[in-house]
Amino acid sequence: MILHTLNASPSSAAFTDCVRVVSRGDALVLMGDGVYAAVEDTMACDALRATGAELYLLQADVLAAGIGDKVGSANCIEMDEMVALTEQYPRQQAWY
Amino acid sequence: MIYTILVMSSPASGHCSRSAAEFALRVLARGHRIYRVFFLDAGTTNGSVSNVYPQDETDPATAWLNLAEEHAVDLVICITSALRYGMLDDTESRRHERPGATVNRAFTLSGLGQLVDACAMSDRLVTFGG
Amino acid sequence: MIVAISPKKSTLIVVRHSPYGSSLARASIDAALAHAAFGQPVDLLFMGDGVLQLLPCQDSSAIDARNIGRLLASLPMYDIDSIYIDARAAAHYKLDISQVPLDARPLENAELHQLMAQYDHLMGF
Repeated sequence: MILHTLNASPSSAAFTDCVRVVSRGDALVLMGDGVYAAVEDTMACDALRATGAELYLLQADVLAAGIGDKVGSANCIEMDEMVALTEQYPRQQAWY
Repeated sequence: MIYTILVMSSPASGHCSRSAAEFALRVLARGHRIYRVFFLDAGTTNGSVSNVYPQDETDPATAWLNLAEEHAVDLVICITSALRYGMLDDTESRRHERPGATVNRAFTLSGLGQLVDACAMSDRLVTFGG
Repeated sequence: MIVAISPKKSTLIVVRHSPYGSSLARASIDAALAHAAFGQPVDLLFMGDGVLQLLPCQDSSAIDARNIGRLLASLPMYDIDSIYIDARAAAHYKLDISQVPLDARPLENAELHQLMAQYDHLMGF
């Protein structure tokens, strides 16, 4: 059970490495440029969904990016909920 | 729960360090304790007194200073990284014959042992980088 | 005198960047050494571009930098004897694992998550 955070665009090595490790039973929070990986109907988004992990997006970063209408029903969260995720998952891996 | 927060990001690159400060504040709001915030590599520049921001932007240091002053959060900057990034306190600026301290007094320069200690004492290590 | 810290929490340092393209390689080695110095269990996983730090024949004098390969080779002096390597990345960069001057255990994809899930703390560099 790992909480992953991705703070890099879907074209980055961080994304490639992250997707290799994230698994069912984990959670992944997309932040900063990481939110672009949640744009629907992209290879990146498909790859994230295929991991089976719970996906979350930091709302502030989604708003900044202007992609609110492109991430479908993705779970956008406030920072308080991110803290709640860290309570639930005993370890966090930061991908950047 | 007891948290250690590791900040690798510079305030000048993206807004990851702002997110880290906000995370810290929310950790406290949820009733947890922060054992230490440790700044490493480019993250050491969060302690700078010299950064100047336009009037229409919030100085990212404000959030860290608030955590230190209002919530007594221990802000520690890795001394090895700090020197490379020009982050000096009074002692180091005298030791290395530099014009003056560049680190805000709310931050302490110390060794990586402080990070190791913090991790040993914490239930959660949360890293912010990039 | 450095005194071991207790309690003990296990940490896996996940190394993902090349040796000289950023300062993260140095930072990760310093963090690993600090853990070892204070008696805290620490392991290193070299993943993705991180395996490049283990390439032999690095000549960092050419760029006036500390030799990362040589620094890593000295880890056993500080009781860090074994490391984990991303087998796929090693194959991609044609890193001969048998030439790595540490006991290097190659891991396949599925084993990476398995390894990471064993530690109290993960520290990503």
